[in-house]
Amino acid sequence: MLTSFFRVIKFSFQDFFRNFWLSFVTLTIFILALFSINLLIIFNVIAKTAIASIEGKVDIALYFKPEIKEDQVQNVQRYLQSLMQVKAVDYISKDQALESFKNKHKDNQQIIESLNELDKNPLGASLVIKAKSTNDYPVILEDLSDPQYNNLIESKDFDDHKQIIERITGITKRVSNGVFVIALIFTFISILIIFNAIRMAIYTHREEIIAMKLVGATNWFVQAPYLLQGIIFAFFSLVISVIIIYPLLGFLQPYLALILESDFNIISYFNQNFAMIFGLEFLGAIIINLLSSYLAVNRYVKV
Amino acid sequence: MINFKKVSKIFYPKSVALKDINLHIRPKEFVSIVGQSGAGKSTMIKLLTAEEKPEHGQIIIGGWDITNINQREIPLLRRQIGTVYQDFKLLPKKTVYENVAFALEVCGISSRKIKNIIPQVLKIVGLKDKHDRYPHQLSGGEIQRAAIARALVHRPKILLADEPTGNLDSLNTKDIIDLLLKINEFGTTVMLVTHNKDVVNRIKKRVVLIDQGQIISDQEEGRYVL
Repeated sequence: MLTSFFRVIKFSFQDFFRNFWLSFVTLTIFILALFSINLLIIFNVIAKTAIASIEGKVDIALYFKPEIKEDQVQNVQRYLQSLMQVKAVDYISKDQALESFKNKHKDNQQIIESLNELDKNPLGASLVIKAKSTNDYPVILEDLSDPQYNNLIESKDFDDHKQIIERITGITKRVSNGVFVIALIFTFISILIIFNAIRMAIYTHREEIIAMKLVGATNWFVQAPYLLQGIIFAFFSLVISVIIIYPLLGFLQPYLALILESDFNIISYFNQNFAMIFGLEFLGAIIINLLSSYLAVNRYVKV
Repeated sequence: MINFKKVSKIFYPKSVALKDINLHIRPKEFVSIVGQSGAGKSTMIKLLTAEEKPEHGQIIIGGWDITNINQREIPLLRRQIGTVYQDFKLLPKKTVYENVAFALEVCGISSRKIKNIIPQVLKIVGLKDKHDRYPHQLSGGEIQRAAIARALVHRPKILLADEPTGNLDSLNTKDIIDLLLKINEFGTTVMLVTHNKDVVNRIKKRVVLIDQGQIISDQEEGRYVL
């Protein structure tokens, strides 16, 4: 049994190298299939990061009435912080608001003079709310519609952002759906290409398979080297696609940093998810290879 | 050694390849099965190697009833019979040595034993110096010799030769037939399927003539007469 096992390994590698061009073409097809899947992963990550980056810029500002005291505002802040939909709440005091207003209009002498005319600070404190997801803003606003809070608030700027938020939410959903559909199509095409490549490779060996059977080889002895070769193809194609993908990531990174305006690093993403991404690709490639090799060889061993 | 008892083979829908064949081949015999193309000669070989199963009758090889042999037993049967084909059926990406070794490797024979046996067999067929050549580097006669070496390497009691000279010139044909006769002299039962009149007439051994799936004549030291 052990002797047969080693012979199967020997035959697999022997066949792989002696049919060099066939192996080369099959391997190239595998690499292209894996490469296209990796491109899709890159696209998906970039799309999600871009959306997250835009989402991060959206917030709601609550402007309190000038007469509302600081501790009342802080009560509202604490309440908001206790909501699971809320990521962060920043408090801007009346003085900070005035300072910021003055800074913003420092070139407009008329506004500055008008402010100086007033005895009191006319501005109220405000809270800037960041939700965990853009979908959460309507929920937060719903909570704030309670008269207990609503009576303290002079205005909310959500209405200004509402359209943007709705558009971003729409884009997010469409991109997610689009990526899912493209992923399905890519996976299906990749499976089909790998399946056909294996079938073609084994088709060229059909006379040999029949000859092996006629000299007394069992089905297992004939099939096993081809199944093992499927694993060899999966392994080499994965190694080569990793070797190709990293320089590509290195090339993309500076452009992504510029476009996304964030500290997102695609190389780090691939490093952190290396086992997940390439492990799954390897597993998927092996399963497809084993299945297609088994089905293809099975056609010819029935002699 | 080989016994066909009222064997019929039909390729559906209605092509009768063999009809009620009764044939007994004794141990160490050399039998030529002759007849025109499509007479049913090769079907007899296919029945003996279990590539095909008969519709009726019984086939017995060395006391083993292979009529309804199951799939798992087929490799065991083939390891006990040597078979040579017109199209050689060598593995193109293996050397002569590896091709011959393959027949032993499938049986699980150890590499040490294989190394001892193969040079002897290659010497018998005259290919000892060409053991490292690939089939495409050999002549037609040499390829068939390699195929015979592969068929002989596990020392089968029966050698089936299905048109072994069909792709060879007259000189190589003579060499191959001489080799088969030599193998027969060593005690192997040889069943030669051919439609080559000159070959059969030169052998001067038992000749079974088949026509349209039926045995027309069966003569000891016969000739190929239509």
